[in-house]
Amino acid sequence: MNMATITTTTTTILTTMSMTDNPTAVMQLLQFTDSAFPVGTFSFSNGLETAAFEKMVTGKETLHAFARSQAWQAAFTDGVAAIHAFRAATKGDFKGVLKSDSELMLSKMNEEARTMLTRMGKKLAELGRRLYPADPLIKDWLDEINAGNTPGMYPVAQGLMFAKAGLTEKELFFSHQYGVINMVLSASLRCSRVSHYDTQEILFDLSGETERLYDLVSDMRLDEMNAFFPELDILSSLHEKGTQRMFMS
Amino acid sequence: MKNNTFDYQIGNRTAGVPEVNFDDAREMHPYLAPPEAMYVGAPGKHGYLRMGFELDSEGKSILRDLERRVPIIVQQELYFDREWKELPCVYILSSGGANIDGDRYQQDIYLKKDAFAWVSTGAATKLSEMVRNYSGMRQNITLEEGSYLEFMPEPVIPCRHTRFICDSVLTVHPTATLFYSEVYMGGRKYYKEGEMFVYDILSVCCRGKRPDGSDLFREKFVVEPGRLLNPRQLGIMGEFDVFANVIVMTPPEKADEIYERTTAYINRKEKIAAGITKLPNKAGVLFKVLGMEPQPVKKIVREFSSIVRETVKGIKVAEEFPWR
Repeated sequence: MNMATITTTTTTILTTMSMTDNPTAVMQLLQFTDSAFPVGTFSFSNGLETAAFEKMVTGKETLHAFARSQAWQAAFTDGVAAIHAFRAATKGDFKGVLKSDSELMLSKMNEEARTMLTRMGKKLAELGRRLYPADPLIKDWLDEINAGNTPGMYPVAQGLMFAKAGLTEKELFFSHQYGVINMVLSASLRCSRVSHYDTQEILFDLSGETERLYDLVSDMRLDEMNAFFPELDILSSLHEKGTQRMFMS
Repeated sequence: MKNNTFDYQIGNRTAGVPEVNFDDAREMHPYLAPPEAMYVGAPGKHGYLRMGFELDSEGKSILRDLERRVPIIVQQELYFDREWKELPCVYILSSGGANIDGDRYQQDIYLKKDAFAWVSTGAATKLSEMVRNYSGMRQNITLEEGSYLEFMPEPVIPCRHTRFICDSVLTVHPTATLFYSEVYMGGRKYYKEGEMFVYDILSVCCRGKRPDGSDLFREKFVVEPGRLLNPRQLGIMGEFDVFANVIVMTPPEKADEIYERTTAYINRKEKIAAGITKLPNKAGVLFKVLGMEPQPVKKIVREFSSIVRETVKGIKVAEEFPWR
């Protein structure tokens, strides 16, 4: 078996192995994706606070559209970086992990988004160090963040953690997307007129779109990350410059 | 033709004009069929422009280096700015009409140490309906130490089935300032029953760099209304029809001042919105505007350019000519 075949086989296993084959991995996936996982998710609304204040998000229908835009934006940027970091981590390629981090930073144009991803990223790296104390990759990752040599973005940290937990690339991507959507929906319960039933229906519906998003982005290169969401950008700017803020984004 | 002493902004050349080829860009792969009319790179379909500004022996900023190939036309710099009479102003014109399939363009603009300039286009850039292939443009803008450029072209108007890709490399010395704006219409709003967001693809990438080659940021849009999310989606364009994007690369202390002086707002009555944020790696600021018509959006971009010019040069921008 040559190297190309080994790589292909490994990738196939990583992307297709069902998580139900490994109940411990299922529990770890649930743990990493849980809104109670202490990385500060609850502090951010991803622009929803301003969208609600500006009456752009007024109910279930507009919240669905807003969350969908956030999910697509994240898929074509953060999702791509997470996948690349995961692939690098599974090969023990630390330079590849750092490359995913620096490339994501280059393409994150909103300051609030950069702040959010670096704060959550550092928290996840610190947690990873506790959960996997013997793992050299996670140790080096946290050291590089603390030394200011790499930004330490959250999606890249997710890639590292999922690789270490033996989860698959697809599980990483789906979990990442779930986190993005759920962040918005959780915030919506505090700043817009929607019910828990509404948010669960939106989450269920948008989850069904994630397979398509994975197909669209899974073979993208890091330099192909892209985002065209000017309304979200302006909302983020309003929040950045605003004074009345319940959330940090 | 004067020799260009810079080598980092020229790129690889073939027969005196750089090749412009985006066939490797994944998003353009559905559009690689060669045009049935004139071939890619045929005379008149491969425009090239090189402009170099520098200070002359008396300290006047002049267009010292100019090379162009049809359909691009640049004549000479004019000094018509009422508030900044020393500012050389240049309009880039095209004799070729709308961009069609198979058109390629490259624009290399550089400013030497302490030079300053203002560059715009003579009219909107129309991107016609395309059946085979695509239209592509590459831009290299390079600013040396202490130089200052306002690059404010008229809007870009895509039509039904337009395929357009643009890649711009903005190489700016840490002490220089670049004001780089782009205005995109959703389409021909008043053509027949309206032709908004029915183009095939707009792929636009701006990469910020330092002269040593280090990367500062990369902003890329790939808008494919027929394949990806519809731009009418809340969060993308929503109800808005016109989008302006302004990249200002400037030293951090100037960026902070510009940021503080600029207001972000959504005016639902006038249907116009603007926002500002700071670029990665302390490269400057990013300003965005959404509106319904090009004139109000252009006005806000111009007002913002006045903030930038006042902050960096201490000179305001004059009222726009009534015919623009």
